[in-house]
Amino acid sequence: MTSLAERQGAFLRALLDDEAPLPAGWGNSQAAGLAVYRGNYRSAIMGALAETFERTALHVGERAFTQAAINHAIANPPVGWTIDEAGQGFDRTCAALFADRPEVAELAWLEWAMLELATAPDCEPLTPQDFADAVADFGDEDWGEMRLALQPRATTRLVDHDLEALWRALGNGGEQPDLGLSQSQCCLVWREGERPTFTLVEADHAAAFAAVQGGASYGELIAMLIGDDPDPSEGAIRNAAMRAGAILGRWLNEGIVVAINP
Amino acid sequence: MPAPSDPIAPFGGFGLGLRRTHYDDFLLGDVPVDFVEVISENYMIEGGRQLRILEQVREKLPVIIHGVSMSIGSAGGLDHDYLAKLKRLEQRIEPLWVSDHLCWTRTSAHNSHDLLPLPLTREALDTVCANIDHAQEALGRAMLFENPSSYLTFPEDEMAEWEFLSEMARRTGCYLLLDVNNIYVSAKNHGFSARDYLTGMPLDRVRQIHLAGHDPATAERDIIIDTHDRPVIDPVWDLYAQAMAMLPQPVATMIERDENIPPLPELLAELDRARGIAGSALVAA
Repeated sequence: MTSLAERQGAFLRALLDDEAPLPAGWGNSQAAGLAVYRGNYRSAIMGALAETFERTALHVGERAFTQAAINHAIANPPVGWTIDEAGQGFDRTCAALFADRPEVAELAWLEWAMLELATAPDCEPLTPQDFADAVADFGDEDWGEMRLALQPRATTRLVDHDLEALWRALGNGGEQPDLGLSQSQCCLVWREGERPTFTLVEADHAAAFAAVQGGASYGELIAMLIGDDPDPSEGAIRNAAMRAGAILGRWLNEGIVVAINP
Repeated sequence: MPAPSDPIAPFGGFGLGLRRTHYDDFLLGDVPVDFVEVISENYMIEGGRQLRILEQVREKLPVIIHGVSMSIGSAGGLDHDYLAKLKRLEQRIEPLWVSDHLCWTRTSAHNSHDLLPLPLTREALDTVCANIDHAQEALGRAMLFENPSSYLTFPEDEMAEWEFLSEMARRTGCYLLLDVNNIYVSAKNHGFSARDYLTGMPLDRVRQIHLAGHDPATAERDIIIDTHDRPVIDPVWDLYAQAMAMLPQPVATMIERDENIPPLPELLAELDRARGIAGSALVAA
């Protein structure tokens, strides 16, 4: 290690940690300058988190958000070259800090997912008509082997709170609604043109989405929906096929499918 | 494709930073500027609205891409992923030029997201020159590097900042982005003469000037902080006039505002003042 590398390591340790010793040879004038750099670093990270998690901040209040952001920055000092990455994993920080308010972590996850989508590669969605044309000559085997490409960075998560109502209320400055859902739902996040968006759908979309995104064929998706039964009835197979069709139809209508058999 | 050693022709225009709050002004109207400058990292992305807007603005105006995260002074070398994404943006936008700062921002462990100062030593100079060679080779063009504002100097410093920049430009063939406000800020913070700084610089290598406002010293803090959040102050305008009178070739001048961004007419008024000063310097010459 060169001495420049050692000096830079010591500088950065002192920047990130108030308790770290000053680099060798530094006196009061360097300490005063370091204080400015520490202030710059903290305000940059806090600014980036506040911009990314605007609604989370509104929901928990400025004081609680600032404390959460400080905790996150201390535990997860940024590594990447883009400051936006400072928000990675903030939902996990919120899950730990707001354990009695689990909707906070769900909201933070959603804001992060939307930020990620805002800069995702542009792509043309496959319309329902495009899809119909493409599968017009499919036989049973073709359907079973069909694989789908989904919009880059589109994502899902199971949630227990009505994020649609919460999002609207925070955007309008309105009354906070009753958030609890009677059962878990899947929060589906994607981009409509250039605008990130989301909706809540049935919970089984989440596993289906993960499977298809992971490369599962349509036949494998149906098998997954049938479940663990080694000898499913015809009715169970038919129901699973219909459910797979309904899920696919929803994704096509939302513009989430971008290609067949890519 | 230009080679890293190809010269960057002087360009004497007046421009502004393209900021989100002014997107509509640039998209819908004819803003009286000769170029815009964008922060590279904001557009080193794969798609979306922001990139489309930059491409639309590029159809109207020349664009300069100005980075804050290359970390040209990092002892550990440059980030290959960063360079690849910058190259992709450069190919997409075909900018007038690509610039960054004489600073370091990260180690292999963490990123400060701030422009940290380098010790002005021969070892640091060797590191910076090797990294600039690498960056210019990767981009296939010569770059500009900006003198930073700084809030501390190092006990081990072996030369003045202008000597460091001169040697850096001579060894690598890079060009310079002269931030006049940064000269003012660092001169006040470290007690050197801004005039000496200008006199010591290889002014023939300067292709662009930045002008910005800063946070003055206070009773509690005797350090001036480069904040880009307010108008340019008169002493910085005076220093700009001196620089313009000394420069042997036309340079591009830009008002750089990153915080408390005012309506566009306020920035255009500052740019008009720059035009007036530059015009007077030309007449005097």
